[in-house]
Amino acid sequence: MMEAVQIRHRHLLDLEDWSASEIESLWRTTDAMMEVMQRKVKKVPSLQGFTVATLFFENSTRTRLSFERAAKVQSAEVLNFAAGGSSLSKGESLKDTLRTIDAMQADLYIVRHVAAGTPYQLSRWTDASIVNAGDGRRAHPTQALLDGYTFRRCFEGFDGFRGKRLTIVGDVMHSRVARSNISLWTKLGAEVVLCGPRTLLPAELEQYSGVRRCFRLEEAIEGAHAVMALRMQRERMQGGLFPSLAEYQARYQVTTKMMERAHPHAIVMHPGPMNRDVEIEGVLADSERSVIEEQVAHGVPVRMAVLYSLLVGRGR
Amino acid sequence: MRQVIKNARIWGVTGLAEKADLYFREGVIEGMGLGGEVDRVWDAKGALLAPAFIDLQTHLCEPGFEVREGLESGLKAAVAGGFGTVVMMPDTDPILDDPAQVAQIQAKASALGFAKLCPAGALSRGMQGEQLSDMWALREAGVVMVTDGTKAVKDGHLFRRACEYAAEVGLLVQGGSLDASLCQGGVMHEGRVSERLGLPGQPAIAERLALFRDAEIARQTGARVHFGPITTEESLLLALWLRERGAPISIATTPHHLLLSDESMASFDPRYKVSPPLRPPADVKALRKALTDGLFDCLSTDHQPWTLAEKELDLLQAPSGIGGLETAWAVLYTSLVVPRLMELDVLLRAWTQGPAKVMGWPTPKLEEGSPATMVLLDLDQARPVEEKQLASKARLSPWEGQMLCGWPVATFVEGRCSFLREENGLSREGFLGH
Repeated sequence: MMEAVQIRHRHLLDLEDWSASEIESLWRTTDAMMEVMQRKVKKVPSLQGFTVATLFFENSTRTRLSFERAAKVQSAEVLNFAAGGSSLSKGESLKDTLRTIDAMQADLYIVRHVAAGTPYQLSRWTDASIVNAGDGRRAHPTQALLDGYTFRRCFEGFDGFRGKRLTIVGDVMHSRVARSNISLWTKLGAEVVLCGPRTLLPAELEQYSGVRRCFRLEEAIEGAHAVMALRMQRERMQGGLFPSLAEYQARYQVTTKMMERAHPHAIVMHPGPMNRDVEIEGVLADSERSVIEEQVAHGVPVRMAVLYSLLVGRGR
Repeated sequence: MRQVIKNARIWGVTGLAEKADLYFREGVIEGMGLGGEVDRVWDAKGALLAPAFIDLQTHLCEPGFEVREGLESGLKAAVAGGFGTVVMMPDTDPILDDPAQVAQIQAKASALGFAKLCPAGALSRGMQGEQLSDMWALREAGVVMVTDGTKAVKDGHLFRRACEYAAEVGLLVQGGSLDASLCQGGVMHEGRVSERLGLPGQPAIAERLALFRDAEIARQTGARVHFGPITTEESLLLALWLRERGAPISIATTPHHLLLSDESMASFDPRYKVSPPLRPPADVKALRKALTDGLFDCLSTDHQPWTLAEKELDLLQAPSGIGGLETAWAVLYTSLVVPRLMELDVLLRAWTQGPAKVMGWPTPKLEEGSPATMVLLDLDQARPVEEKQLASKARLSPWEGQMLCGWPVATFVEGRCSFLREENGLSREGFLGH
């Protein structure tokens, strides 16, 4: 049905040690999965006999649904474990929680946790594969993979990432989506410009090569090929990170008018959930430049390819 | 009872090339090579004999948190690490702010008969930072220091009053070395590594600012203020500057801050989560140089036990701190003295004369009339750190599996052998309490 990919990883914890060609290979598998998703009957037996468990210590509906769909389309069994901090209140250690679930013999865990590094900790205690579905502010690799895949498919006249520029606007400090996208786009040769209030763009972000900070939106968007707005959370006001939504909107909202400065084919992305008319102008989100719905749609085939590559593609 | 330790290289007396016999009776050193009848002969087999170590920052968790550590396990760990005296932090449950409770703990510790316990009392009642503790009564009960922990007392006014009061009582105050309001949920040093790991960081200035306030209060009030772990080059420089200007302060650092950097956190292993956090390699280097140059008054372990279950949480939830009594000497000896980065004398002083001077205690010496509180160190034989073999309940070490040498083979506390590592093929460790 599909070509075997040469991906040697057992886990997808982040994109640090994934090479550009492995990512490209994963996207080729994604293309095949896209084809499955266009069929009338969306079911293939590629993961029959495998059991996948979602381990969500932090609540999330859409990411979990997307992974669940990716597993079920491929006929895998899916177990759902919504910990949501409950094990902690029972005084159970992370290791004990994993041991309990490990006794159910899953082949792969999809983990989301509020603390960075938790998927690494878990990978030391189990023989199963681990897919990071978001750990703290550190990494959300499948989101970056689907964002990059969306750019590859939707940017008119796409001819590779080299020489392209992604501008990420908003709360970069707390964003695992931003960190994983920085890792992915720079690895593929693109430049990443980060824009937002100084309080949300720590100087240490410039340690990554190919990354620069810019505090004015009009400069940051100038010539960009893709613009990603990040969700702005109200709670950040309490921490003194920005004064008010009104001030944020006035200076950092990505608008149709602002997008005129970007590359003529530039696309607008948002990892969701979106605060319409806060970080992104509502009209823009619904416009032709917007690929926000495509991002969600691509989530399933990208995650199908990840599960397939880790469970089956490896070791062939 | 009269005893002799034969064939020992005696620090500060014989030099490292010669061996001698040291006689002691009823807990007091008699002298070298005296001869005569003895009740007990110990053969040092060429090991180095030094005054036992002193730790000014040990958390023993009893009462209240015996699942983490207790007087027995903690004091056993102390003698196994070569410590004859430990200053116990008051963060127990209940908090050590009551003279009766201090007396009780001391009675229990001396009945156990391992390392000598010197309690630190709370600086404020319940360590709440609102009302001063009964410092006179605490001192009379045996407290040697007052502290509300290494996080700076929130209310500068209260800390000032505490210092004025303690100066009159004659108690050493342990100052704050972290401004909690600047730490904001940070779990490691804020910098390039924390950014890369996506972990919230604490800025280094949180240490410097707390130090600055408390040291200036020391200068104004004349109170002697001791700072637990000083961990950055900048705060070290600040401490030295303040000391030059007459602030009556003393400073320490820990083995983990001298040997590990924030890069350790890349393993996402909560054993490296400590407070103050591990710093970048440049700070580590500066701390080592400062220790070599004698700028630190002493070292301390900041032995902070947690159960495995508590530590095996994610990095946001896992508590800060690591046990270290048993490995403190051996790891520094192996990492710094063996590769000739530091003189043996400097390291020994930092664990013996240094802390005694900070406390205003008599200089520990191996000469006639001094207490026979001593440690025998096997400088040659290497042995791995084995967490499972630790006497402490905190069986987690950053140095698990590492081959270290310099291990204590016997610890004597006022003439009583409290720890003996028998190497005659059995390798059995013995703790000899009362």
